[in-house]
Amino acid sequence: MKTILSFLLSITAAAVVMAAPEVGQPAPEFTLTDSTGTSHKLSDFKGKTVVLEWLNHGCPFVQKHYVEGNMQKLQKEYTGEGVVWLSIVSSAPGKQGHMAAEDANKTKEEKGSAATAVLLDEDGKVGQLYAAKVTPELFIINPEGTLVYAGGIDDKKSTDPADIATSTNYVAQALDELLAGKPVSMAKTAAYGCSVKY
Amino acid sequence: MTTVLRVFALALGLGWSFAPLTAQVYQGQTLVEASLVSDTTTIVPGQPFRVGLHLRMAPGWHTYWENPGDSGLPTTFDLELPEGFTAGPLEWPLPQRIIEPGDIQVYAYRGETLLIRTITPPADFAASAITTIKSRTSWLVCEQICIPGKAPLELSLPVGTSAAPAQAELFGRFDALLPSAGPPPFETRWTKTPTGWNLGLQGVTGGGRVDFLPLTEGTGHTSARDLVDGQADLAIPIDEAAPLRGVIVWENGTRRGWIIESSVATPVADAAVAPKTASASALWSYLLYGFIGGFILNLMPCVLPVISLKIFGFMRQAGDSRASVLKHGLAFIAGIFVWFLGLAAVIIALKAAGSEVTWAFQFQNPWFNFAIGAIVFVFALNLFGVFEIVLPGRANSGLAEAAGHGGLAGSFAQGILATLLATPCTAPFLGTALGFAFGQTPVVILAMFASIAAGMGSPYLLLSAQPGWLKFLPKPGAWMERLKQFMGFPLAATLLWLLFVIGQQRGTEAVIWAAATYLCLGLAAWIYGAFLGPLSLPRTRWLAAVGIALALLLGLGYFAGRLFAASAAAGPVENGAKETDGIPWVAFSEAELQRLRTEGRPVFLDFTADWCLTCKFNERTAINTPAVRAALEKNGIVAMKADWTNSNPEITRKLAQFDRVGVPFYLFYAPGAEEPVILPELLTEQIVLQALGAKTP
Repeated sequence: MKTILSFLLSITAAAVVMAAPEVGQPAPEFTLTDSTGTSHKLSDFKGKTVVLEWLNHGCPFVQKHYVEGNMQKLQKEYTGEGVVWLSIVSSAPGKQGHMAAEDANKTKEEKGSAATAVLLDEDGKVGQLYAAKVTPELFIINPEGTLVYAGGIDDKKSTDPADIATSTNYVAQALDELLAGKPVSMAKTAAYGCSVKY
Repeated sequence: MTTVLRVFALALGLGWSFAPLTAQVYQGQTLVEASLVSDTTTIVPGQPFRVGLHLRMAPGWHTYWENPGDSGLPTTFDLELPEGFTAGPLEWPLPQRIIEPGDIQVYAYRGETLLIRTITPPADFAASAITTIKSRTSWLVCEQICIPGKAPLELSLPVGTSAAPAQAELFGRFDALLPSAGPPPFETRWTKTPTGWNLGLQGVTGGGRVDFLPLTEGTGHTSARDLVDGQADLAIPIDEAAPLRGVIVWENGTRRGWIIESSVATPVADAAVAPKTASASALWSYLLYGFIGGFILNLMPCVLPVISLKIFGFMRQAGDSRASVLKHGLAFIAGIFVWFLGLAAVIIALKAAGSEVTWAFQFQNPWFNFAIGAIVFVFALNLFGVFEIVLPGRANSGLAEAAGHGGLAGSFAQGILATLLATPCTAPFLGTALGFAFGQTPVVILAMFASIAAGMGSPYLLLSAQPGWLKFLPKPGAWMERLKQFMGFPLAATLLWLLFVIGQQRGTEAVIWAAATYLCLGLAAWIYGAFLGPLSLPRTRWLAAVGIALALLLGLGYFAGRLFAASAAAGPVENGAKETDGIPWVAFSEAELQRLRTEGRPVFLDFTADWCLTCKFNERTAINTPAVRAALEKNGIVAMKADWTNSNPEITRKLAQFDRVGVPFYLFYAPGAEEPVILPELLTEQIVLQALGAKTP
């Protein structure tokens, strides 16, 4: 009797793990609050090119690009051309790279970041939505809202800032092509870095 | 941040050699000790010897393999050799697959590793007494955080005419872990699939587990598989069709690896006709299980309310001609097939998209539960007589129509609805059959789901083909209206269960907002029933329409769209031990499980979910009982809970290791045992006690 009963009670279910967004497909929509408390929706930036940069200042791969101003230079150059640059922090509270709003604001200033905004994604939802695995990992979305680039910042997988001079910067290359009205030649590259601290 | 200490150690032996040691220290903790070692005491001209970069990591920290995986950086080991010396490529021992939160998988070394290169000195080397081999090495060591380290390491060896082995134990240990370039001692077969490759292994004698570690960049995650009858199938997702390289790892007491490359040109079309790994008889028995499972779905509580709807349908049709009844039956069965084949198609598509999908995934999505709750509630109101669905001039579409009508489209829709509500019910053997299907090719998945559909549809085929048997059903009458009203109660009870699940997923507030939405829907349904009848005046109709619009706006727009959605942002319940039921549950993680096992602790692992009534039933009647609690305590067994209420890739993967795609599932790891004992899905206290007691003296 008990067998039949629990048999009848058998109810099971399961999981879909979010598939990574595809280059060439619409970029998944999200809303996040930035370090100043302002809420940003991806679709608010329709009509502009948007860069998403996964950020963790404790990560040596991120430090490689911030310590001598490489990332800041990119941010400054392209935001100057009307590109929206969003740095996203997906570190969970208590894990490396996690920042409270005030802290994020201060750090942004200290590092001289020229990003349009630093978005806080404590619960990692947007990170998971984009299947961001490492910092730094970058995505570029064109003015129509299509994902046109996903991958790493450049082709030299190292933590040594000295390598920057001799590496090909995929993000700059893709943005230059987009601004010139050309298709992105390297639309998908292998990102390298520390794991995102979900 | 890296402090470098240099310690010179004098090696004993015929000659003497320097073995410098470098320690990477971070905030007072030594993370990595690196040294350069050789397998010889003396360099003999013309005779190759080997040097190794020996890295010893602090507990919990890891350095990376040749292909680091989703994050990290491979260790580098460059040599600066005297004139005329040549060096072979870097040889990497087998790494471990380490899974971090967010389904980030890396291939790395814990504890220690030895990266080996072979050096050949020139034959005419007439050297100074001591030759120094210099190296430049760098690594990234990570735990939760990552710290780069590097060291110039040197090794000085005397030159002579004869040599003795050195560091034999260390080199021997890691030699065993070097993947072989030769073919493995079993059969391998590559098949191109829409998502990448399927690597089928056959004739592996001795059992154990197999895994595939990719060397090609951009390869997705593979799950290790247990060998069954010396066979296993490894699904390897990758975008490009280019040849794929990697290492097959076979664990059977020891770990051994073989470097393997996919055959180049296997056209995709071959996948469908490629021989099945499972023998034909196994396939048939699984299809039979699917059929029986499908048949039993008719008895599931989540189908019962719909059966009541179907009973009305059959009774209405009992007066019709035989042909008409058969047509209705077939339409109903067609609905069942469409649902299951649609589900199969979705699963195949998701597999193609590289996702991990398991059975009845819908109920992990609170919005799905919310929507089903709304449908169930409106149905219940319909049964209670709050409103009648009036035959519309418009198309008979939508599930709601299915309840009220006997048209062919209605029967078809009923078939879909019946199966929609049955999806989460998997009987134990149905679960086994599905576990089998998920690792299979699209063709097998389709066959599997079709056999479930056939099983579920069979009673209706029987009844509609032999409508004579319908006369055993009670005669229609006034009691039907009462019965119909009564049937609203089991339906409402289903709603209670859904609200319970929503509450577990999103908290009490979400339940309130869901209920508020349903209340608005109820109001809209009442207005519809009371004022939108065919006899209402145009003015009344207009006002009623406005009322319905307002109620829907309030319900769906405000309560559901804003408040329920906001409650969802509160975040899912943590995986793990959230109940205080007397057993000190430890939350499941693969790392913790491995740690406990290496400590030699017995572990009882409970895969459960709040929406799984069998799990709850087992927990109340067979697990959380005084006798079991005492047995756990007495034998020092760690009770570990893998809570799958919300989607959790780590748990999904663990289940997949055992070819399971659903809960409940129970494992007992006896101390020192290779493989866990698998407990049945329906537990009694006796079964649990026996499993825990028999294995723990």
